[in-house]
Amino acid sequence: MSAILKILDIDCAYESVKVLDGINFSIDKGSFTGIIGPNGSGKSTLLRCTTQVLRPEKGTVFLNDFNLSMMKSPEIARLMAVVPQETSITFSFTVKEVIMMGRSPYLNRLQSESKEDYEIVNYAMKLTNTHYLAERPVTAISGGERQRVIIARALAQQPEILLLDEPISHLDINYQLEILNLLLKLNQEKRLTVIPVFHDLNLAAQYCDQLILLKEGKVFAIGTPEEVLTEKNIKDVYGTNVMIKKHFVTGRPNIVCFSTCSQHTSFKGKVHLICGGGAGSSILELIVSQGYKLTAGILNTGDFDWEMAKFLSVKLVEESPFSSISYYNHKRNLELIKNTDVCVMASIPFGQGNLENLKAVEYACDLGKPVILVEEQGINKRDFTGGQARIIYNNLKNKKGVIVVNSSVEVLNVLPGLLSSEQHN
Amino acid sequence: MNFRWRWRIVFSLLFAALVFTVIFCTAIGPVSIGFFTVVKIIINSLPGAKNFMPAENWPITYETIVFNLRLARVILALLVGAALATSGVVLQGLLQNPMGDPYILGISSGAALGATTAILFGLGNYMLGIFTIPAMAFLGGAGTTFVVYNIAKVGNRVSMSTLLLAGIAVGSFLSAVASLTMVISGENLHQVIFWLMGGLSNRGWKHVMILLPYIIIGIIPMILYSRDLNVMLLGEESAQHMGVEVEKLKKIMLGVAALVTASAVSVSGIIGFVGLIIPHIVRLLVGPDHRVLLPASALLGAIFLAVADTLARVVAAPLEIPVGIITALCGGPFFLYLLRKKKNPGF
Repeated sequence: MSAILKILDIDCAYESVKVLDGINFSIDKGSFTGIIGPNGSGKSTLLRCTTQVLRPEKGTVFLNDFNLSMMKSPEIARLMAVVPQETSITFSFTVKEVIMMGRSPYLNRLQSESKEDYEIVNYAMKLTNTHYLAERPVTAISGGERQRVIIARALAQQPEILLLDEPISHLDINYQLEILNLLLKLNQEKRLTVIPVFHDLNLAAQYCDQLILLKEGKVFAIGTPEEVLTEKNIKDVYGTNVMIKKHFVTGRPNIVCFSTCSQHTSFKGKVHLICGGGAGSSILELIVSQGYKLTAGILNTGDFDWEMAKFLSVKLVEESPFSSISYYNHKRNLELIKNTDVCVMASIPFGQGNLENLKAVEYACDLGKPVILVEEQGINKRDFTGGQARIIYNNLKNKKGVIVVNSSVEVLNVLPGLLSSEQHN
Repeated sequence: MNFRWRWRIVFSLLFAALVFTVIFCTAIGPVSIGFFTVVKIIINSLPGAKNFMPAENWPITYETIVFNLRLARVILALLVGAALATSGVVLQGLLQNPMGDPYILGISSGAALGATTAILFGLGNYMLGIFTIPAMAFLGGAGTTFVVYNIAKVGNRVSMSTLLLAGIAVGSFLSAVASLTMVISGENLHQVIFWLMGGLSNRGWKHVMILLPYIIIGIIPMILYSRDLNVMLLGEESAQHMGVEVEKLKKIMLGVAALVTASAVSVSGIIGFVGLIIPHIVRLLVGPDHRVLLPASALLGAIFLAVADTLARVVAAPLEIPVGIITALCGGPFFLYLLRKKKNPGF
């Protein structure tokens, strides 16, 4: 693979504010490279410098080893096409006329379009599926259609590189995917080098084979999506706590955000949550987000609740994967319960391996601690012990100090009352 | 391809209408000359035509009326109309603003100040004779555009919205100065007001000769750059990405639009509405493509102004109405009618 685009040490400033500072990278022919970064990190400016719309103060852009600043604009336009975020067209040109404008870098003044130009335009319309729009006024089509038309116009320039400045940020999700799939097809079938600026990190991870992460006008990271989209990088660049998961279909990194990203500091009381398998993740998040001091048990290492609890830095008792709860860990769980103000149990299923969880709740009851049972599903559907769990559970429901709620959110409604009465005691 | 055919039909019709208008407008007047007599007089005057045409018996004065009085004025109206319509097209396109017209950059106010000064201070006695007013108006108009352009220019770039605002600001200022001059002077006000309302009375071949070269010099680059003007309608940055040298284009187009407008204003005074409505009407007929829009607007602008000027001559004869009044009286309602008829006028 050879580098088609090389950016060498580019500096750029608006007035006296430095927007790009020593940018360096190169992009291989046929790659799909996304440029990402927070607002104001210089993504669009980088794009404008690359196309020479903005002449950088320092540094050079090489396209196929030619220095772009030495080339005339029609020459550049024959190699590089740009799709802007949004094109407002106020004049009622037809779709075909707009796409034909992409041929203008090839035509002399007064020269009219040849048969070949019409063929190229037809081909661009075929690739982008805009044929059926050809004679429609461009002012009377939808946003998604318009963006396809603009891509067709860019393709009519027969470029080697296609740059896109947040091409999908104004579109609905269906159009976003349609446009991105189109770009992917062009990239894979036509070996077109595609360089989009992205806002949506997950979509960037799905579609790009290389990502460039900008921070304050500098390249912070460059590499495959797996290399660039790490929890640490996101924290460093965006200042946000996120969780990176593998996308369950594509295997690409997938970012999960929480409302807890800005955490409460006020301490309201101690809550112990018994959960596991994923049934407790929303309660975990809700309770932590409200500023309660949370402990959890007993979680199997690697399951979803465990991951969430780890991510939220919750103190927890953990058991090895797919193992029954050991006596040692059961004791540790009871230890945590002893120190808590309220015990909450998520709507978890019961098997022989985790019956100790129910016993732990009984223990809390016996200590006189308030208990909240979350019942998103009736116990009959969650009992895989042949009735054993059901008996204990129903028993539990009738004990003093036990409250049953139907959803995770309700826990938050009940908690404050329990904690204040607890303090009075 | 069927677009090409449509264009050809539109051009043929407009051209036929132009020829008809010239003859018709020449025929009408206090001395009524027959339509075909005018045709014969014109053909007869062509070199070599006398060999083919039998001698006709029309009074010799007819030839004087046709050539020295009416034809010159009709042709001057054609030129002014074409000038205003084409610069209207160019400015609406460059500014991407449907309100664009040739006067939007303050040309009218600058020219008005120049002309007012020349009339009120009787400068004609000292310099250039009858050409003093046109010369001063031209200087005022072109000079204003130059000032406005330089105000809007930051570094190498000209922002179109700043240009518009600067044009309005400078224009209002100069209008105020012109009004002040009129108030203080208090003489020859009638002449000034007639000039400000625009008119072609007492103009002749000399004016045609002054105007013609500017119009030719101006309209040729407009036609040459019409594809670039189309691309500009997708936005300045997109145009740059498609290989248009945007700043250069803006400079050239503003320059020629100012040249053409200032020269037209210098001979005709301020004739409003032609530069605003003709481009819109033609866009409704042929679409927004400048390659056909520009020449078609030139033809329709020419026809419209020639007819309007003829009306100005005859409706209240022997009194002449300033043609600017006619253009606004006819143009305004007609334009409104078009707007209502086609809710989206294609802009």
